[in-house]
Amino acid sequence: MQQEASARGEPAGVATMQFRQGSAIRQLWETNLEVFQRDRMALFGLCIFAVFAIVAIFAPQIAPNNPLTPLKNNEGDWIKDAMPYWLAEPGEDEAEGYTNTFLLGTTNIGRDIYSQLIHGSRSALLVGFSAAAAVAVIGTVVGLLAGYYGGWVDAILMRAADVAFGIPFIPFIIVVSAFLDPSIWNVVVAMAVLLWRDTGRVIRSQVLVIKEQAFVSAARVSGASNLRIIFVYIAPSILPLSFLYGSFAIAWAILTEASVSFLGFSDPETISWGFMLQDAFNSLALSREAFYWIVPPGLCIMLTVMAGFFIGRGYEEVLFPRLRRM
Amino acid sequence: MSILSIRDLKVNYHTQDGTVRAVDGVSLDLDESQRLGLIGESGCGKTTLLKAIVQVLPRNGHIVSGEIKFKGMDLLKLPPAEMRQLRWREIATIPQASMDSLNPVQRVGSQLMKLLRVRGGYTKKAARKRAVDLFDVVGLDTERLMHYPHEFSGGMKQRAVIAMALALEPSLLIADEPVTALDVIVQHQILEVLRRLERELNLTVMLITHDISVVAQVCDSVSVMYAGRIVEEAKAEPFFASPAHPYSLGLQQAFPNLASPRDVLVSIEGYPPDLREPPAGCRFAERCPFVQETCHEIDPQLEVVGDGRMAACLRSNEMDDLRARAEDPTLWQNVEVTRLVGQPPTKSTDAGRGEPLGRPTITTHDEQADQPLADPCNVPLAVGNGRADLLLEMNDVSKRFKIGGGLAGLLRGDKEQTVYAVNNISFTLRRGESLGLAGESGCGKSTTGKLLVKLIDASDGQIVFDGADLSSVDDKELLGFRSRVQLMFQNPFEALNPRFTLYRSLTEPLIIHGWKDENERLQRVVETLDRVNLRPAEVFLDKYPHQLSGGQLQRVVLARALVLHPDFLVADEPVSMLDVSVRAGILNTTRRLARELGLATVYISHDLSLLQYTCDRIAIMYLGEIVEIGPSNEVINKPQHPYTQALIAAVPVPDPTIENPPLRIREGVPRPTEQFIGCPFAQRCPEVMEACLNVRPPFIADEQGHQAQCHLYGEHHNSPKLHREAEAAR
Repeated sequence: MQQEASARGEPAGVATMQFRQGSAIRQLWETNLEVFQRDRMALFGLCIFAVFAIVAIFAPQIAPNNPLTPLKNNEGDWIKDAMPYWLAEPGEDEAEGYTNTFLLGTTNIGRDIYSQLIHGSRSALLVGFSAAAAVAVIGTVVGLLAGYYGGWVDAILMRAADVAFGIPFIPFIIVVSAFLDPSIWNVVVAMAVLLWRDTGRVIRSQVLVIKEQAFVSAARVSGASNLRIIFVYIAPSILPLSFLYGSFAIAWAILTEASVSFLGFSDPETISWGFMLQDAFNSLALSREAFYWIVPPGLCIMLTVMAGFFIGRGYEEVLFPRLRRM
Repeated sequence: MSILSIRDLKVNYHTQDGTVRAVDGVSLDLDESQRLGLIGESGCGKTTLLKAIVQVLPRNGHIVSGEIKFKGMDLLKLPPAEMRQLRWREIATIPQASMDSLNPVQRVGSQLMKLLRVRGGYTKKAARKRAVDLFDVVGLDTERLMHYPHEFSGGMKQRAVIAMALALEPSLLIADEPVTALDVIVQHQILEVLRRLERELNLTVMLITHDISVVAQVCDSVSVMYAGRIVEEAKAEPFFASPAHPYSLGLQQAFPNLASPRDVLVSIEGYPPDLREPPAGCRFAERCPFVQETCHEIDPQLEVVGDGRMAACLRSNEMDDLRARAEDPTLWQNVEVTRLVGQPPTKSTDAGRGEPLGRPTITTHDEQADQPLADPCNVPLAVGNGRADLLLEMNDVSKRFKIGGGLAGLLRGDKEQTVYAVNNISFTLRRGESLGLAGESGCGKSTTGKLLVKLIDASDGQIVFDGADLSSVDDKELLGFRSRVQLMFQNPFEALNPRFTLYRSLTEPLIIHGWKDENERLQRVVETLDRVNLRPAEVFLDKYPHQLSGGQLQRVVLARALVLHPDFLVADEPVSMLDVSVRAGILNTTRRLARELGLATVYISHDLSLLQYTCDRIAIMYLGEIVEIGPSNEVINKPQHPYTQALIAAVPVPDPTIENPPLRIREGVPRPTEQFIGCPFAQRCPEVMEACLNVRPPFIADEQGHQAQCHLYGEHHNSPKLHREAEAAR
């Protein structure tokens, strides 16, 4: 539009003011947009997240029953181990005194599996996104400070990273859970405390490269302060890298939460997919061939984890174009 | 008989953005023991041609048509296995950046012997003997045969690569930029090796370079490439005496020459056409000062224009007249191309309609043009005169770096070493004065530049800028200093934030220094862009750095340095990354603006001819010390210090009739971790005396302020001479 203006002979100042509105944010948005335009897999991953996000937000509306309350039949007994209605023998439910409307059957204490699955998406996404945000933010800040300032700041932060690398992850979470009340937030805390190490290292190395570039020296010669150089000049260049590690962290967090729940260290009052698997495992669902209890949560975990990695891959391809050939 | 004959060769690269016709119809003949120099700026297809000959094109490169015959064999029809046999045995190449082509985990001699045994069929014993001979031939110490590449200096690696190329006695040697990125003294010695080998072995050589003086020194014939075509072909002597294509004319006048300095260097504005859609007419038309209507329509072919000479120009019959007119540098400045990189020029010639962005516009400069300046180098200077206009003073400034220390080093048990980057240098700079810092890489000139702009702090000594000692400024004073001192960088492709529009990059310094009003900032930015000849400035404001060519980018970098109207500019190798054709434009603009704005300038460069062209005074640095300083012409024409003399003698002369004399100094700068009691240059000095080893030489000045730090001119000048052999044994 600006060139049209100058061709029409309008004063340059008026026209040229328009182009720089919010240019930094716009550019970041464009980078993100590019990731999803270029890579169908990343777009697919984003769609998966979107579907789960909608499900999580409207979980109480979608789920037909309370996931924690055992359902009872007309006689007040728990509807234990009901088959999904599409598998059950016709007429069995009426004989037992209830109407079988359960898409995925019930658990051994009469909880609705489908409702559990719906509500499970809430804890998965909650843990996934908050842990990812924590990992990305801590890792980015640590990487920026260590890379930019170097010297003792770098030494202290990177030795701390070494320590974090030395702590085994799952046992650490179990210990954390033992000290704190059982809660899905334990996973988030443990990830925030440990997993910033990878992000921090990678971002530090990138900062080391960028800060040696002449445009950073130019900013310093122009009198820019350290904070301005870090956040205006260096940070925008490494932000896609933070997103990359963030999207991987989502997958890791969901996987970790499932593992921890499966091992029995989760809050029994919060339904998560890992908790469902543990519940199924403990009540010998496998031996009863209750695949409708085991497969759906497993599939959901797999889908969300895959979505995280698909998006990560998309960022990787934009960041490291050479990968595209492989 | 011609050993290599190329007919109408066309090579395409398939890229995401279209097909690039990198080589577009090149025909070329190379006779036995001919030494052909292929000249052209980057992106003109020189290296692609080389890769097509040895058939190592990248996967997206395809030979579309044409013929390459080597000793009667059609290389394009040869099965790959036979081609493999031919490479290295018959056609040897010295690739670009060949210093990195040695395997770092194998000893140099082992690599050479492995080649001889695997490809040459030598026995173990014979291979060893041959390797020793080859080391001898290229002037390498045979005791270094079993050293690793990292133990070699740049020049030694280059020699080793030449030895490897010659190992199997090829009939054709193709060297791609063999001396680029080497220091001038090393460059001189490598050229000498090449020249000697040509004579002794009667080699056939094809030398690819952008540097016409290298061609003048090594080759007997010249081909000039432009935009995928050969535009001129001639024997070296007539070519250098009277080029027959406007592009060659421009190239020749763009080159600074120490022996016969020009008042104003020519800059061929603009850049080569987009090879995805080459123009219908002459490819040089857009940048040619002699362009006519017909040039845009008729594609000129190579035609014989004289005794064994060929040129592709429609006006070649008027060449004598054009040559005379080309002497006028202002002629070349009247062409200005504002087309952006990656945008094909619009083909239609109808002017007047709404000008779309990126259309080449021809504008004529007014009084702001880079006119020749009256005798720029001969400003008389007197030392200690006029302290009022003293801007900057360096008093015994030193900078030391510690390496191998820190926590990691402590734990590993590394010994901390001190690098003496800058040692006790002192000089003064007056307002509006320009000083050049020259020397081999590692001499501390860039560190000095960083000290001057306070990117790093001095370890010792005092830097006084306009009366204020830089070591004791507070934050507020520092910000004031920052607004008055600016730095211009070597690599324009890195000097601008790739995520910022040019407006953003240029407006940053203004924001930092508290320019609140957006309109004022915009006005200043536009005015500055206009000053550096980026016109119309509005076109450039919302562009990103990757949309501009190197020359345009360097102008933006200059604009950013000048946007605050500083008093002092440090330019660190401002044109070394740019093509020769646009270098002069940057230098002329910088020089003109320095005059207009009363700017004091420090140019840092390894290129003495460039410093002679731009600077009032030149300082020569060696191992962190200034060994000689004085008015440019004095230093260049009457060098006092043996090191300066060697540096000047090593600069290749762009004239095939003059051969550079052999140097009396060894290549390779000692590591700057040592401190010397005597003269730091004593180790390499051809004139070394006893006193040089024990007594630090004082600065000895003549009445023009020309000073050299050398015993030859002082009280010790009668000290007994030492023989180099004795020195080497020590």
